Order: sequence, then structure tokens, then C-alpha cells
Amino acid sequence: MLHARLVGTLASAALLAGLTVPAFAQSGEVNVYSYREPGLIQPLLDVFTAETGIKTNVLYAGDGLLERVESEGEFSPVDVVLTVDIGNLTGAKDKGLSQPITTAAIERVPAELRDTDSDWVALSLRARVFYVSKDRVDATALTYEDIAKPEWKGRLCTRAGDHAYNIGLIASRIELWGLDKTREWLTAVRDNLAYPPTGGDREGPKNILAGTCDLSITNTYYMGVMLNNEAEPEQKDWANSARIIYPTSEDGDGTQVNAAGAFIAKYAPNVENANKLIEFLLSDEAQRLYADANYEFPAVPSVSPSELTLSWGQLVPSKVSLVEIAAHRAEAAALVDELQFNAGAQN
Amino acid sequence: MGLPILWLAAAAFTAGPGGGLAASMLPIALRDTGALMACVGLLAGVIGLVAAWLVTHHDFPGRAWFEWLLMLPLAIPTYLAAYCFTELLDFTGPAQTLLRTITGAATAKDYWFPQIRSFPGAVLVFSLVLYPYAYAACRAFFLMQSGTAHAAARTLGAGGWRTFLAITLPVSRPALVVGATLAMMEVVNDLGAVQYFGINSLTAIIYSTWINRSNFGGAAQLAVTIVLVIAVLILAERAARRAEARTGARESRGAARVGLTGGHAILATAACSGLLLVAFGLPIGQLLYLASRQLTVASISMTTGPLLTTLGLALAGAIVTVTGGLFAAHRGRSRSVAARGAIRIATLGYAIPGTVLALGLLQPLGIADRWINGVTRWAFDWTPGLVLSGSVAALLYVYAIRFLAVSHSTLHEAMDRRGPSMLDAGRVLGSRGLDLFVRVDLPTLAPALAAAATLVFVEIIKELPATLLLRPLGVETLATLVYAKANTALFAEAALPALAIVLAGIVPVILATQLGARRKV
Repeated sequence: MLHARLVGTLASAALLAGLTVPAFAQSGEVNVYSYREPGLIQPLLDVFTAETGIKTNVLYAGDGLLERVESEGEFSPVDVVLTVDIGNLTGAKDKGLSQPITTAAIERVPAELRDTDSDWVALSLRARVFYVSKDRVDATALTYEDIAKPEWKGRLCTRAGDHAYNIGLIASRIELWGLDKTREWLTAVRDNLAYPPTGGDREGPKNILAGTCDLSITNTYYMGVMLNNEAEPEQKDWANSARIIYPTSEDGDGTQVNAAGAFIAKYAPNVENANKLIEFLLSDEAQRLYADANYEFPAVPSVSPSELTLSWGQLVPSKVSLVEIAAHRAEAAALVDELQFNAGAQN
Repeated sequence: MGLPILWLAAAAFTAGPGGGLAASMLPIALRDTGALMACVGLLAGVIGLVAAWLVTHHDFPGRAWFEWLLMLPLAIPTYLAAYCFTELLDFTGPAQTLLRTITGAATAKDYWFPQIRSFPGAVLVFSLVLYPYAYAACRAFFLMQSGTAHAAARTLGAGGWRTFLAITLPVSRPALVVGATLAMMEVVNDLGAVQYFGINSLTAIIYSTWINRSNFGGAAQLAVTIVLVIAVLILAERAARRAEARTGARESRGAARVGLTGGHAILATAACSGLLLVAFGLPIGQLLYLASRQLTVASISMTTGPLLTTLGLALAGAIVTVTGGLFAAHRGRSRSVAARGAIRIATLGYAIPGTVLALGLLQPLGIADRWINGVTRWAFDWTPGLVLSGSVAALLYVYAIRFLAVSHSTLHEAMDRRGPSMLDAGRVLGSRGLDLFVRVDLPTLAPALAAAATLVFVEIIKELPATLLLRPLGVETLATLVYAKANTALFAEAALPALAIVLAGIVPVILATQLGARRKV
């Protein structure tokens, strides 16, 4: 009897020990450099930590993270880099800063939204659209070519031309129209600007409310984020002064789409946890958070965008792929410099 | 100490001809930066000069208070002033909202209101927050001056204004140049405000070339250009300091104060109060208002981490920099020209924008780290990883380079004032070396050491560009936090950390001015 009890106790103890061991093996940390605003990314990371026990250490910077990873070299502590734009993803691969992602989860996104060698993966999509004043603009459909026309003189606003979001748009135009037509278009757009580009994407809607401009080139998700901003309720007013138009191209091509994504650093110290993080970010749960909390378009097609997002209209994406956009970024940047876009209207 | 500059010079020369951004935007950047510097130098200089003149040459109600209160804007970093004034004067801010309520207007096109986010707006904001440099320089000069010229002018019947125009203004030109130059160097250093106002300054272009164009070589070339511009400024400032030394007699009895009465007294008090209100009262009022709306658990916990980090870095940085300054001040007194030359170069750091320094340090530190790891791997079969880059050590290094000049000049002046007699007396009594240092040097320099330390402390709290680029993973200072929030149009969320920056800076600024006052015995 005593033997049986002893064996039973030992067996239970062994079973319990066996159950706890995986928990120890799973905990650890993952170091993240993020281009994305902390407000948008921290909630996702918190859920990740709650579910897996893996601690996340985040460094946020609007710029300079790739350069930093490069100069840190093989001793860089970063595991995962979260980017806001395709350029940083392809740029990382070109500079040899990434390694292939091994989690099978990346097959949940279509092939054009991930690297052929699995060096990067898109996590969410956003479209670059026109926010137009509800009071002062009647048009319900506009093309990208429209904003270059004289009737928009002094009515356009956007952020700096060399910011990644605008570079993506200009690069997509170069792919679609060629460099010369894009140059003409960008010159006219520059001369229609109401003021020299300043601020971020939210400044546009703010200035629409102020009446300083009538059309702002801004990303889609800001509408949702501003409309639901409890910490700064005046941003709701900014958003409410405008409505979204999904611009198309005169030849029938759709709206320019960019991707926020991630890559794993080449010398990542916690490769397994890095893959776990990416696996989480591609899970239904995280993708739904991207959709519902951030008002973005999930990269995983089976997860649908939030109702608010859908209420802005039907997104018909441009056929210019992410990789094609990335390929023209250098040209786009050179064009912005050549035309001195950031100095504002010149004619 | 010259490492970052040398590295950048090397990169600049080995890089190809700067096409692209450098070629197209450089002329605009030079023009915009030059214009901004000139206007701010002028405006801040004039404000500082007039304020200093009022406060040192006259007596009026509240004068003693204003003397140090007028230094307070020093606690406000330039980027913070930019964010605050924009919040105040922007379309959605209190000023325009009030105007719209009164006039019943609906949009900005219905009434005229100056656009704050513009070149004139930038000049105004910079001048309001940088005039203390000119104020301090002019005030120190006036206090040092002999009062005889002024007394003579008054016996000949000249009134206050005539004395000012005919005597004070010409004589104080050197001090004005010194103060204005300091203000101009701060303008060149700024990154946050110029980006916010959409001004294509040299520093903003450098940052953009490196980050957005991934063109380190091009950025290095632009950085070297800035260094040359700064060098010219410094030569002008040094020439002015020599002129100042010539015209100022070292009498301890300054100009007698003219008591103001009636209308003049009211005017003086009003002018000083007005300046203080606009330059300091408005921003801090704005911050207090925004912070009071954000006094949630979340925002407090968001602030405490960076607050402690900032204070810690500032303290460590102050200690390191003042120690370096003491060393430099001693070496600066040596007879060797080489030593004095080396000190000159070392103190150039103040004039170099933080962005440029960080740029010049990133690669060398990376290389040094790889070398260190190589050595440890060979000797002990162990790699410590990143020791220098992206570390607190890197931050302290860049702070020391940037602010060495501040501690050095303070200590240098104090040593001058002290004269050789103290040390000689100590030597006669048998004290040498370390003993002499600890028992005579340190105690007599204590006030100056404290003044230098507090000045460096404030500057580090405000520092943004270098910290932004070099900070370690997970380290956020108050400055980087405010910058991040402001750049995503969420400045109001950063009101509490922003307030912390100013409050943390006020105490040292007051201390520094009081300590400075006591030195004049």
C-alpha cells in the first residue's frame, strides 16, 4: 500500500514537473525596434506577452532604426524590426540585415505580400487616399491626376515628400506612368500645395477643419484612429470635417497600397522568440486587432477589416505590387529632391 | 574629443560628389539656416540687451526679482517652445478659438491670424526662448563695467535714452555679439523645432539625408559644412570676447543705478513682466493646462521611467563633463601651445549640433565595439556584445563633447578670478600635487564647479538630437518621449513629461544664476 502511494505521488510529481517545464522553456524575451507609433503597437505586444510569457523590449524611433541596426552589426541586440513601409523591409534585405522567417504562419498571407525568400512579411496594409472637406468639396470620386489640375491650386496639403508614405505613392506612380509623366504630375501637385509640407499625416485633417486646405493626402487608418481618440477628443473634430475618397488612376488602376511589416534581424539573439512573435502577429487574434484597433487592412485575407473601415468605401487596390514600389523608391526620392517638393509651391 | 568631427571629415572626403539631396537642397538650407540665425541672433540679442540694460542700470519695482527671473526661459528647450506656441496659436488653440468666438468666424479663411508655423513664427519662438543667452552675457558685461562713462554722461546732461544710444550700445557690442552667437549656435543645433515648423535648416537636411536617403557620405559632407560655418561664428565670438576684455575695466564698482519713477518705472516693470509672461508664462501655462487634463495613472506612469532616466543621465553627465572641464581648464593654463590648441578644439563641441556629433560617433563606436569583442574573444573566448554603441557610455561621451565648453569656460573664468595667489600660498606652505588639489583647488573652485555642474545638468535634460540617435534599447528620456508624441500630433499626451523637463530645469537655472551672482565678489 505504502509502495503504491509512493509510486503514485512520485508519478504525479513527475507529471506536474513535466507540465511546468515547458512554461520555463517558453519564457524569455524578444527585442523589438519599431518604426510604428507605440500607441498602435504596444497593445498587440501586451497581448503577446500575456499569452506566451515572453517579455518584449521595444525601442521606438520614427527614423534611423535600419541605420542603427547596420552600425550595431553582429552585436545588435534586436530580434524583430517592425516597419511602417515596404521600403524599410526591402531595404533591410538589400543591406543584408535580415534572415529568413521560419514560422509557417507567413504562408497565411498571399505571396505578393511576403518576400520570395521569406526575409520579410507584411502584417497589415494601408491605402494612401484623399481626405476631402465635407463642406467645400462636392466630388465623390477623384483620380490621382485630378489633384494636379489648376482648380486645386492652394487647396492641397500633405506631409514631407521624402517621408516613406509619400515616397511609396510617388514610386507607385513611376511604375505606372513612367518617370517623365510622374515628374510633370508631381510638379503640378507641388504647386497646388497650400503650404510647405510640415507635420505628420494627422496635420492634414486638422488643416481641413481649419479651412487652410481642402484635400489632404493621408493614410486610411488615421480616420479611424482620430474618430476614436478619447485622450484627445479634438482630433475627432478634425476627422469629422473630412471624408475619404479612394483615388484611382485615369487608366483604371486602383488605389495605392502600402504595407507595414516585419523582418527578423540577421544576428538576432532570440530567433525562436522572434519567430513566435511574427507567428502571433499573423494570427487571427492579432490580425483582428490590426483591423479593429488600428483600422488597417489585415494582411491575412481571411480576416476582414473593421466595419468603420468598410464604411469608407470599397478599396480597389492598385496592381502595382509592393516589390515594384520598393524598386522605384530611390528614383522617387531623387525626384522629390529635384523638384524641391518640401519647399512648397513655387509657381 | 575631436573624433566625431574627424570621422565625418574623412567620410565627407571619401564620399563621392554629393548629388541628390545635398545638391538640390543645400542652397535652400544654407539660405534658410543663415536667415534664421541672423534674425534670431538680432532679435534675441536686442531683447537680451535691453532687458539686461534695464535690470543693471536702473531701479524699479521688482528689479531684484526680474534679475534672475528673466533667466527662466533657459529651462525651456527650443523644440518644446515650438510645440507649446503652436498649440497656443494654432487654429485649434485657445487664441484663435477665442477670436472665432468673438468674431463668429468658422474657418481660418474668414479672418486673418498670423501663421505660427512659418519662418517669422520660428524667429519669434526661437528668440523668446534663447534671449537669456544674450541677457546673461550683457548683464555680466554691464556689471563688470566701470560706471564712470555713464556718470560723466549724466553730469553733461544726457538723459537715459541718449546715454543708452551713445554710450551703452556701442560699448556693449562685444557682449551683444557673444550672446547673439550663443543663441545662433542653439538655433543651428535645434532639430525638433525646425522640423515642426517645416524649415529646411542644415541640421534637418543632414538628418534627412542620412535617414531618409540612407546617404551617410552626403550627410557627412553637409555636417562638415556646418562645422565650418560654426568655426566662423566661433572666431567672431572669440574676437568679440577679446574686444570685450579691452573695453571693460575690471572695477568692482559698476554703474550706479538710476532710480526710475512714475511712468518710466511702470513701463520698465511692465516690459520685464511682459517679456517673462510671453517667453515663460505662456509655455508653462500651456503645459500646466494640458497636463492637468492628462493627469491619469497612465500618463504618470509613462512619465516616471523617462524622468528617472533623464535625471540619472543628467547627473552622471554633469559629473563626467565637469571633471573633464576641470582637467581642461588646468591644461588650458599650461604654457604649451599644443595643449592650449587641443583645449580649443575640445571646447568646439558646444557649437557642433547634437545630430552631427551623433552621426560622427555611430560608426566609430560600432567599429570600437567590434574591436573590443575581437580582443575579448581572442583573450577570454567571450564576447560582451555592444559595449559602447547604443549604450549609456555613448550618451555620456556625446554629452561630454557637447557641453565641455560650458564647464570649461565657467571654471576657466573662476580660475582667472581666483588668481595664482591661492595656489602659490598653498605651495609655500608645503602642499603639492594631489594634496594641493584637494585642499586648496577644489574648495576655492567649489562655487564655480557647482555652477558648471548645474548648467550642464540643465543642458543634458533638454538635449534631444544626439540622445535620439544614440540611446540604448528601451531607454527613453523626457526629451525623446516628447519628440515622439509631438511628431505624431499627440503633443498633448506629452504635456506631463514636457512639464517635467521645464520643472527639472528651473531649479538648476535659478541655482546657476545665484551662484553666478555670488562669484562677483
